[in-house]
Amino acid sequence: MDNILSVKALKQVFSKETAIDNMNFEVKRGEIFGFLGPSGAGKTTTIKILTGQLHPTSGSALLFDVPSTKVNHPKYLKKIGVMTDNSGLYSRLSVYDNLHLYCELYSVENKRKRIDEVLEMVNLIDAKSKVVSKLSKGMLQRVTLARALLHEPELLFLDEPTAALDPANSRHIHHGLQELNRKGTTIFLTTHDMQEAELLCHRVAFLNNGKVQLLDEPSKIRRKYSDDTLTVELVGGEKRTLINGPEGAQKMYEYMLNNQVVTMHSNEPTLGDIFVDVTGRSLL
Amino acid sequence: MSFSLKRVYAIFNKDIKDLFKNMFVLSTVLTPILLAFLFSQSEPIPVGLHYFIINLIFVMTTVYVQGAIIAEEKEKNTLRGLMMSPATTTEIMTGKSGLSALLTIVTLVVCMRITGYEFVNVPAIFLAFFMSFILYLAMGTLLGLLTRTVMEASLVLMPLLFVFGMGTLLLEFIADYPSLAFLEYLPNFQLQFLAEAVDAGQAFTDVTGYLIVIAAWMVLLCILTVVVYRKRAVDGK
Ligand SMILES: Nc1ncnc2c1ncn2[C@@H]1O[C@H](COP(=O)(O)OP(=O)(O)O)[C@@H](O)[C@H]1O
Ligand SMILES: [Mg+2]
Repeated sequence: MDNILSVKALKQVFSKETAIDNMNFEVKRGEIFGFLGPSGAGKTTTIKILTGQLHPTSGSALLFDVPSTKVNHPKYLKKIGVMTDNSGLYSRLSVYDNLHLYCELYSVENKRKRIDEVLEMVNLIDAKSKVVSKLSKGMLQRVTLARALLHEPELLFLDEPTAALDPANSRHIHHGLQELNRKGTTIFLTTHDMQEAELLCHRVAFLNNGKVQLLDEPSKIRRKYSDDTLTVELVGGEKRTLINGPEGAQKMYEYMLNNQVVTMHSNEPTLGDIFVDVTGRSLL
Repeated sequence: MSFSLKRVYAIFNKDIKDLFKNMFVLSTVLTPILLAFLFSQSEPIPVGLHYFIINLIFVMTTVYVQGAIIAEEKEKNTLRGLMMSPATTTEIMTGKSGLSALLTIVTLVVCMRITGYEFVNVPAIFLAFFMSFILYLAMGTLLGLLTRTVMEASLVLMPLLFVFGMGTLLLEFIADYPSLAFLEYLPNFQLQFLAEAVDAGQAFTDVTGYLIVIAAWMVLLCILTVVVYRKRAVDGK
């Protein structure tokens, strides 16, 4: 698999603070890559640099083997979809008119059909003719997401796409994103929701203070940080922690022989727990 | 690089749809028309008064509408979406200029009808109008790019309105203060001088000086606009 995105020694210094500090990572073509970090970690700044909205202080980011500072060309822009906090909508126009404008800008064919498709994907087909100023925050976010999907981009950047959404809509959108990914769209997604990261992402990067502190597949991360123990709940509510090995097996055998086991589960830490372990910071 | 009329038209079309729901802009455009009505009551109207209205249109309609709709794109975070789309800078700027161009032409024609202004030496006047239009369009674009909200753009418009829209009212005052003579190099003064000159029967070759000054303003403002736009394109906002 080749890399669609590769970041080398990236650094972004704002007037008084370093937002991105020597960042290195690669995104493979076809994967959903999660950028996990608390607020202020540098997620949005990274997306802005990667999409050419901001030129980095130093270092480089290559998309489609082109430096991000040169990506501002129709040839590349039509392959990219972006949704960030500066993806505004025209508030006096309807949802349909907003999407229709973007169909024109991206030369999308079968505009009506495509608009219906993306609105289905974000569960907003009923709001099609609503004026944008009348929409709730969550609905706005979904329209913005729909707009980023219109032209079926090869590479999609989503900045906390489900941050303001209820669980049902988040789930709907997660399915849509997985479907899109199966059809070939590479997704770069930021989130501070570790469940979302775990569910969607093939690989996640832990971001803290502008640095990538860990990068791997969620299951591998969990296994690596697992302490190899099991917790058994016994009749009477008592809980025992068993170490994976002959000694633990002996105990387990006894419990089971005496019909004492109520529940048992492995003590894999969640990504959220591991994030705290690795960065010393909570995700929220 | 390709130029897609379809994209330009899509942006223009969006602004038109938006206009009819935007009373704020519509009412601004009506001001010069109202003034034209008032002035038309007292005939005959001197060339200076015709050009007071014409300069006012350039500032209130061309500069302000252009500035306000670009400032609003920034305020509502919609300009970035256009920039991130495959639309080129030229396409975006042409599309975004369509509305103010249309409104400028309409108000100019309506006001001239009302005040009964007639062109003499059409080529010189036409060229001067065209260059003035481009320079005020650039000024409006700059206004929009340098301010963050429609409110801010409206505030910054005030001094512009005073200098470029109504400055020529101060002509007699300036005559008494030679140190203010530099003001006569402003494009609104030059446009009026040119019109008065051709009205007095001067030929195209006699008024090229004015045309050159207006052209210089046009070039300067266009360059400034491109520079500021390029800076804005990578400001991350
Ligand atoms: N334009 C800017 N000027 C100055 N500081 C900024 C700017 N944008 C972001 N920052 C700072 O950079 C850091 C990272 O911000 P951001 O990328 O928005 O984080 P996240 O998206 O992960 O919440 C923050 O400390 C923020 O205050
Ligand atoms: Mg952010």
